[in-house]
Amino acid sequence: MRLVLPIMGLILGAYIGSTLTFQLPAVYIKYMSIAVLASLDSVFGGIKAIMEKNFDGATLLTGFFTNALVAALLAYLGDRLGVDLYYAAVFAFGVRLFQNLAIIRHHILTSFKNIKIFSGDDHERQ
Amino acid sequence: MRKYILPLTLICIISSFFLVFQLKTQAKNTNFNPLSQKSLNLITIIKNLEQEIETQENQIEAMRNQLNELQSQNNSGKLQDLRQEIIKAKIDAGLTAVSGKGIVITLDDNNEGLIAVPNDDPNKYIIHYDHILSLVNELKIAGAEAICINNQRLINTSEIRCVGNVILINMTRIAPPFIIQAIGSPKLMTESVSLGQLNILKSSNYPILLEEKEEIIIPAYKGELQFEYAKLQ
Repeated sequence: MRLVLPIMGLILGAYIGSTLTFQLPAVYIKYMSIAVLASLDSVFGGIKAIMEKNFDGATLLTGFFTNALVAALLAYLGDRLGVDLYYAAVFAFGVRLFQNLAIIRHHILTSFKNIKIFSGDDHERQ
Repeated sequence: MRKYILPLTLICIISSFFLVFQLKTQAKNTNFNPLSQKSLNLITIIKNLEQEIETQENQIEAMRNQLNELQSQNNSGKLQDLRQEIIKAKIDAGLTAVSGKGIVITLDDNNEGLIAVPNDDPNKYIIHYDHILSLVNELKIAGAEAICINNQRLINTSEIRCVGNVILINMTRIAPPFIIQAIGSPKLMTESVSLGQLNILKSSNYPILLEEKEEIIIPAYKGELQFEYAKLQ
Protein backbone atom coordinates (compact mmCIF):
# COMPACT_ATOMS: atom_id res chain seq x y z
CA MET A 1 0.00 0.00 0.00
CA ARG A 2 2.82 2.36 0.92
CA LEU A 3 4.48 1.92 -2.44
CA VAL A 4 1.43 2.66 -4.57
CA LEU A 5 2.36 6.27 -5.18
CA PRO A 6 6.04 5.57 -6.09
CA ILE A 7 4.94 2.79 -8.47
CA MET A 8 2.38 5.15 -10.03
CA GLY A 9 5.27 7.60 -10.37
CA LEU A 10 7.30 4.97 -12.19
CA ILE A 11 4.46 4.37 -14.63
CA LEU A 12 3.88 8.09 -15.09
CA GLY A 13 7.58 8.71 -15.81
CA ALA A 14 7.69 5.82 -18.26
CA TYR A 15 4.60 7.19 -19.98
CA ILE A 16 6.07 10.69 -20.30
CA GLY A 17 9.36 9.22 -21.55
CA SER A 18 7.66 7.11 -24.19
CA THR A 19 5.31 9.80 -25.47
CA LEU A 20 7.89 12.56 -25.62
CA THR A 21 8.91 13.04 -29.26
CA PHE A 22 11.86 15.27 -28.43
CA GLN A 23 15.04 13.70 -29.78
CA LEU A 24 18.21 14.01 -27.77
CA PRO A 25 21.26 14.76 -29.94
CA ALA A 26 23.17 11.50 -30.16
CA VAL A 27 26.33 13.12 -28.79
CA TYR A 28 24.68 13.53 -25.40
CA ILE A 29 23.45 9.95 -25.06
CA LYS A 30 26.53 9.11 -23.05
CA TYR A 31 25.77 11.78 -20.47
CA MET A 32 22.13 10.79 -20.40
CA SER A 33 23.08 7.22 -19.60
CA ILE A 34 25.06 8.45 -16.60
CA ALA A 35 22.04 10.42 -15.45
CA VAL A 36 19.99 7.23 -15.75
CA LEU A 37 22.50 5.37 -13.60
CA ALA A 38 22.56 8.16 -11.02
CA SER A 39 18.79 8.21 -10.79
CA LEU A 40 18.59 4.43 -10.41
CA ASP A 41 21.24 4.66 -7.73
CA SER A 42 19.14 7.27 -5.93
CA VAL A 43 16.00 5.12 -6.12
CA PHE A 44 17.74 2.14 -4.55
CA GLY A 45 19.52 4.38 -2.07
CA GLY A 46 16.13 5.79 -1.05
CA ILE A 47 14.62 2.33 -0.60
CA LYS A 48 17.65 1.27 1.43
CA ALA A 49 17.28 4.36 3.65
CA ILE A 50 13.60 3.55 4.20
CA MET A 51 14.54 0.07 5.33
CA GLU A 52 17.24 1.37 7.62
CA LYS A 53 14.75 3.93 8.93
CA ASN A 54 17.07 6.90 8.35
CA PHE A 55 15.30 8.27 5.29
CA ASP A 56 15.57 11.98 4.62
CA GLY A 57 13.75 13.49 1.65
CA ALA A 58 16.07 16.48 1.28
CA THR A 59 19.17 14.26 1.26
CA LEU A 60 17.65 12.03 -1.37
CA LEU A 61 16.61 14.84 -3.69
CA THR A 62 19.80 16.87 -3.44
CA GLY A 63 21.85 13.70 -3.75
CA PHE A 64 19.96 12.74 -6.84
CA PHE A 65 20.40 16.03 -8.67
CA THR A 66 23.99 16.69 -7.66
CA ASN A 67 25.00 13.11 -8.46
CA ALA A 68 23.42 13.18 -11.90
CA LEU A 69 24.74 16.64 -12.77
CA VAL A 70 28.23 16.20 -11.43
CA ALA A 71 28.57 12.78 -13.05
CA ALA A 72 27.48 14.14 -16.43
CA LEU A 73 29.79 17.13 -15.98
CA LEU A 74 32.72 14.92 -15.05
CA ALA A 75 32.08 12.73 -18.07
CA TYR A 76 32.00 15.81 -20.27
CA LEU A 77 35.22 17.12 -18.71
CA GLY A 78 36.77 13.71 -19.25
CA ASP A 79 35.80 13.82 -22.89
CA ARG A 80 37.47 17.22 -23.23
CA LEU A 81 40.60 16.04 -21.43
CA GLY A 82 40.79 12.71 -23.24
CA VAL A 83 40.39 10.78 -19.98
CA ASP A 84 37.45 8.41 -19.81
CA LEU A 85 36.03 9.72 -16.54
CA TYR A 86 32.76 8.36 -17.86
CA TYR A 87 33.81 4.89 -16.78
CA ALA A 88 34.68 6.14 -13.31
CA ALA A 89 31.13 7.42 -12.89
CA VAL A 90 29.66 4.21 -14.29
CA PHE A 91 31.86 2.19 -11.97
CA ALA A 92 31.02 4.24 -8.87
CA PHE A 93 27.30 4.19 -9.51
CA GLY A 94 27.34 0.55 -10.50
CA VAL A 95 29.14 -0.52 -7.31
CA ARG A 96 26.83 1.57 -5.15
CA LEU A 97 23.80 0.21 -6.93
CA PHE A 98 24.79 -3.37 -6.24
CA GLN A 99 25.69 -2.59 -2.63
CA ASN A 100 22.32 -0.95 -2.05
CA LEU A 101 20.58 -3.86 -3.73
CA ALA A 102 22.46 -6.28 -1.48
CA ILE A 103 21.49 -4.34 1.65
CA ILE A 104 17.86 -4.19 0.55
CA ARG A 105 17.90 -7.92 -0.11
CA HIS A 106 19.36 -8.56 3.34
CA HIS A 107 16.68 -6.46 4.97
CA ILE A 108 13.92 -8.19 3.09
CA LEU A 109 15.42 -11.57 3.87
CA THR A 110 15.71 -10.84 7.61
CA SER A 111 12.17 -9.49 7.85
CA PHE A 112 10.95 -12.52 5.92
CA LYS A 113 12.89 -14.87 8.22
CA ASN A 114 11.50 -13.15 11.32
CA ILE A 115 7.96 -13.66 10.10
CA LYS A 116 8.76 -17.29 9.39
CA ILE A 117 10.32 -17.86 12.82
CA PHE A 118 7.34 -16.32 14.55
CA SER A 119 4.88 -18.35 12.56
CA GLY A 120 6.94 -21.46 13.30
CA ASP A 121 6.82 -20.69 17.00
CA ASP A 122 3.08 -20.26 16.74
CA HIS A 123 2.83 -23.60 15.09
CA GLU A 124 4.80 -25.33 17.81
CA ARG A 125 2.70 -23.79 20.50
CA GLN A 126 -0.50 -25.10 19.05
CA MET B 1 1.19 9.85 4.76
CA ARG B 2 4.71 8.81 5.48
CA LYS B 3 7.38 11.40 4.86
CA TYR B 4 9.27 9.39 2.29
CA ILE B 5 6.40 8.84 -0.12
CA LEU B 6 6.61 12.15 -1.96
CA PRO B 7 10.39 12.39 -2.51
CA LEU B 8 10.50 8.74 -3.52
CA THR B 9 7.64 9.28 -5.96
CA LEU B 10 9.42 12.25 -7.47
CA ILE B 11 12.65 10.27 -7.86
CA CYS B 12 10.70 7.37 -9.34
CA ILE B 13 9.06 9.63 -11.93
CA ILE B 14 12.36 11.16 -12.96
CA SER B 15 14.33 7.94 -13.04
CA SER B 16 11.74 5.97 -14.98
CA PHE B 17 11.42 8.88 -17.38
CA PHE B 18 15.20 8.90 -17.89
CA LEU B 19 15.25 5.14 -18.24
CA VAL B 20 12.53 4.95 -20.86
CA PHE B 21 13.84 7.98 -22.70
CA GLN B 22 17.31 6.48 -22.84
CA LEU B 23 15.95 3.10 -23.93
CA LYS B 24 14.03 4.81 -26.73
CA THR B 25 17.06 6.78 -27.88
CA GLN B 26 19.32 3.74 -27.74
CA ALA B 27 16.83 1.64 -29.68
CA LYS B 28 16.96 4.22 -32.44
CA ASN B 29 20.72 4.13 -32.77
CA THR B 30 21.98 0.68 -32.13
CA ASN B 31 25.71 0.50 -32.78
CA PHE B 32 25.96 4.17 -32.00
CA ASN B 33 29.23 5.75 -32.95
CA PRO B 34 29.83 9.38 -31.98
CA LEU B 35 32.22 9.84 -34.88
CA SER B 36 29.71 8.73 -37.49
CA GLN B 37 27.15 10.97 -35.82
CA LYS B 38 29.59 13.83 -36.06
CA SER B 39 30.15 13.24 -39.74
CA LEU B 40 26.39 12.98 -40.24
CA ASN B 41 26.03 16.36 -38.62
CA LEU B 42 28.74 17.70 -40.88
CA ILE B 43 26.98 16.29 -43.93
CA THR B 44 23.78 18.08 -42.99
CA ILE B 45 25.73 21.28 -42.42
CA ILE B 46 27.39 20.95 -45.82
CA LYS B 47 24.08 20.21 -47.50
CA ASN B 48 22.45 23.23 -45.90
CA LEU B 49 25.35 25.44 -46.89
CA GLU B 50 25.21 24.16 -50.45
CA GLN B 51 21.54 24.94 -50.59
CA GLU B 52 22.25 28.41 -49.29
CA ILE B 53 24.96 28.87 -51.92
CA GLU B 54 22.53 27.81 -54.62
CA THR B 55 19.87 30.26 -53.56
CA GLN B 56 22.41 33.02 -53.31
CA GLU B 57 23.82 32.18 -56.73
CA ASN B 58 20.33 32.41 -58.16
CA GLN B 59 19.93 35.73 -56.42
CA ILE B 60 23.18 36.97 -57.92
CA GLU B 61 22.06 35.85 -61.34
CA ALA B 62 18.75 37.64 -61.00
CA MET B 63 20.46 40.84 -59.83
CA ARG B 64 22.93 40.59 -62.66
CA ASN B 65 20.12 40.32 -65.17
CA GLN B 66 18.48 43.32 -63.59
CA LEU B 67 21.73 45.24 -63.82
CA ASN B 68 22.09 44.31 -67.48
CA GLU B 69 18.60 45.56 -68.16
CA LEU B 70 19.26 48.86 -66.42
CA GLN B 71 22.53 49.28 -68.27
CA SER B 72 20.92 48.63 -71.64
CA GLN B 73 18.35 51.33 -70.98
CA ASN B 74 20.88 54.16 -70.95
CA ASN B 75 22.52 53.83 -74.33
CA SER B 76 23.49 57.32 -75.37
CA GLY B 77 26.88 58.40 -76.68
CA LYS B 78 29.77 57.57 -74.43
CA LEU B 79 27.74 55.19 -72.30
CA GLN B 80 27.41 52.98 -75.35
CA ASP B 81 31.16 52.56 -75.55
CA LEU B 82 31.42 51.88 -71.86
CA ARG B 83 28.76 49.25 -72.16
CA GLN B 84 30.66 47.53 -74.93
CA GLU B 85 33.68 47.54 -72.67
CA ILE B 86 31.71 46.04 -69.82
CA ILE B 87 30.42 43.28 -72.06
CA LYS B 88 33.93 42.52 -73.25
CA ALA B 89 35.24 42.46 -69.68
CA LYS B 90 32.42 40.15 -68.67
CA ILE B 91 33.23 37.75 -71.47
CA ASP B 92 36.87 37.80 -70.39
CA ALA B 93 35.93 37.15 -66.81
CA GLY B 94 33.57 34.33 -67.72
CA LEU B 95 30.49 36.07 -66.43
CA THR B 96 28.49 35.48 -69.59
CA ALA B 97 27.35 32.35 -71.35
CA VAL B 98 29.29 31.87 -74.55
CA SER B 99 28.88 29.62 -77.56
CA GLY B 100 31.08 28.48 -80.38
CA LYS B 101 32.74 25.45 -81.83
CA GLY B 102 34.93 23.21 -79.75
CA ILE B 103 35.20 19.78 -78.23
CA VAL B 104 33.37 17.75 -75.61
CA ILE B 105 35.23 15.15 -73.57
CA THR B 106 33.19 12.69 -71.53
CA LEU B 107 35.08 10.82 -68.82
CA ASP B 108 33.85 8.16 -66.46
CA ASP B 109 35.26 5.80 -63.87
CA ASN B 110 36.47 2.47 -65.18
CA ASN B 111 33.69 0.49 -63.48
CA GLU B 112 34.02 -2.49 -65.81
CA GLY B 113 37.69 -2.79 -65.04
CA LEU B 114 37.00 -2.76 -61.31
CA ILE B 115 34.29 -5.40 -61.67
CA ALA B 116 36.69 -7.59 -63.66
CA VAL B 117 39.35 -7.34 -60.93
CA PRO B 118 37.30 -6.84 -57.77
CA ASN B 119 40.16 -7.20 -55.31
CA ASP B 120 42.34 -4.59 -56.92
CA ASP B 121 42.80 -1.10 -55.51
CA PRO B 122 39.72 0.89 -56.61
CA ASN B 123 41.86 4.03 -56.77
CA LYS B 124 43.32 2.70 -60.00
CA TYR B 125 39.90 2.72 -61.64
CA ILE B 126 38.40 6.06 -60.74
CA ILE B 127 38.92 9.46 -62.32
CA HIS B 128 40.99 11.63 -60.02
CA TYR B 129 41.06 15.37 -59.86
CA ASP B 130 44.57 15.50 -61.29
CA HIS B 131 43.38 13.75 -64.45
CA ILE B 132 40.89 16.54 -64.97
CA LEU B 133 43.41 19.17 -64.00
CA SER B 134 45.88 17.87 -66.60
CA LEU B 135 43.19 17.72 -69.25
CA VAL B 136 42.16 21.29 -68.53
CA ASN B 137 45.78 22.42 -68.70
CA GLU B 138 46.21 20.74 -72.05
CA LEU B 139 43.02 22.36 -73.31
CA LYS B 140 44.29 25.73 -72.16
CA ILE B 141 47.64 25.32 -73.83
CA ALA B 142 45.78 24.53 -77.05
CA GLY B 143 44.02 27.87 -76.76
CA ALA B 144 40.69 26.95 -75.21
CA GLU B 145 38.73 30.15 -74.70
CA ALA B 146 36.04 28.89 -72.39
CA ILE B 147 35.89 25.65 -70.43
CA CYS B 148 33.22 24.13 -68.29
CA ILE B 149 33.08 20.85 -66.40
CA ASN B 150 29.63 19.47 -65.67
CA ASN B 151 28.30 22.97 -66.36
CA GLN B 152 30.68 24.61 -63.90
CA ARG B 153 32.38 27.40 -65.80
CA LEU B 154 36.11 27.60 -65.17
CA ILE B 155 37.26 31.14 -64.46
CA ASN B 156 40.48 32.51 -63.08
CA THR B 157 39.59 31.63 -59.49
CA SER B 158 38.11 28.19 -60.19
CA GLU B 159 39.64 25.34 -58.25
CA ILE B 160 39.79 21.68 -59.21
CA ARG B 161 40.32 19.82 -56.03
CA CYS B 162 39.83 16.35 -54.63
CA VAL B 163 37.35 16.25 -51.73
CA GLY B 164 36.90 12.61 -50.77
CA ASN B 165 35.02 10.74 -53.46
CA VAL B 166 33.97 13.78 -55.43
CA ILE B 167 35.74 16.72 -57.02
CA LEU B 168 35.26 20.31 -56.03
CA ILE B 169 34.94 22.88 -58.79
CA ASN B 170 33.77 26.42 -58.05
CA MET B 171 33.01 25.20 -54.51
CA THR B 172 30.51 22.77 -56.02
CA ARG B 173 30.87 19.04 -55.74
CA ILE B 174 31.12 17.26 -59.07
CA ALA B 175 30.67 13.52 -59.51
CA PRO B 176 31.37 11.29 -62.52
CA PRO B 177 30.62 11.15 -65.38
CA PHE B 178 32.59 14.29 -66.09
CA ILE B 179 31.69 16.24 -69.20
CA ILE B 180 34.39 18.72 -70.12
CA GLN B 181 33.31 21.23 -72.73
CA ALA B 182 35.79 23.61 -74.28
CA ILE B 183 35.39 26.30 -76.89
CA GLY B 184 38.37 26.84 -79.15
CA SER B 185 40.01 25.30 -82.15
CA PRO B 186 38.69 21.71 -82.17
CA LYS B 187 41.66 20.44 -84.13
CA LEU B 188 44.29 21.96 -81.87
CA MET B 189 42.57 20.95 -78.66
CA THR B 190 41.98 17.39 -79.86
CA GLU B 191 45.63 17.05 -80.76
CA SER B 192 46.79 18.51 -77.47
CA VAL B 193 44.75 16.22 -75.24
CA SER B 194 45.20 13.16 -77.43
CA LEU B 195 48.96 13.44 -77.16
CA GLY B 196 48.81 13.89 -73.41
CA GLN B 197 46.49 13.00 -70.63
CA LEU B 198 43.72 11.54 -72.77
CA ASN B 199 46.15 9.03 -74.20
CA ILE B 200 47.24 7.97 -70.72
CA LEU B 201 43.64 7.57 -69.60
CA LYS B 202 42.79 5.59 -72.71
CA SER B 203 45.67 3.20 -72.12
CA SER B 204 44.25 2.62 -68.62
CA ASN B 205 40.94 1.61 -70.23
CA TYR B 206 38.85 4.46 -68.87
CA PRO B 207 35.67 4.98 -70.89
CA ILE B 208 36.38 8.18 -72.79
CA LEU B 209 34.48 9.94 -75.51
CA LEU B 210 35.91 12.88 -77.44
CA GLU B 211 33.65 14.73 -79.82
CA GLU B 212 34.29 17.76 -82.00
CA LYS B 213 31.24 19.97 -82.19
CA GLU B 214 30.19 22.93 -84.26
CA GLU B 215 28.13 24.52 -81.53
CA ILE B 216 28.81 24.33 -77.82
CA ILE B 217 27.12 26.52 -75.25
CA ILE B 218 29.10 27.16 -72.10
CA PRO B 219 27.17 28.67 -69.17
CA ALA B 220 28.24 31.74 -67.23
CA TYR B 221 30.06 31.57 -63.91
CA LYS B 222 27.34 31.64 -61.31
CA GLY B 223 29.22 32.85 -58.25
CA GLU B 224 30.38 36.31 -57.34
CA LEU B 225 33.80 37.74 -58.04
CA GLN B 226 35.01 39.63 -55.05
CA PHE B 227 38.39 41.16 -54.48
CA GLU B 228 39.06 41.74 -50.86
CA TYR B 229 42.85 42.01 -50.90
CA ALA B 230 43.75 42.82 -54.50
CA LYS B 231 43.67 46.55 -55.19
CA LEU B 232 44.00 48.39 -58.46
CA GLN B 233 47.69 49.29 -58.93
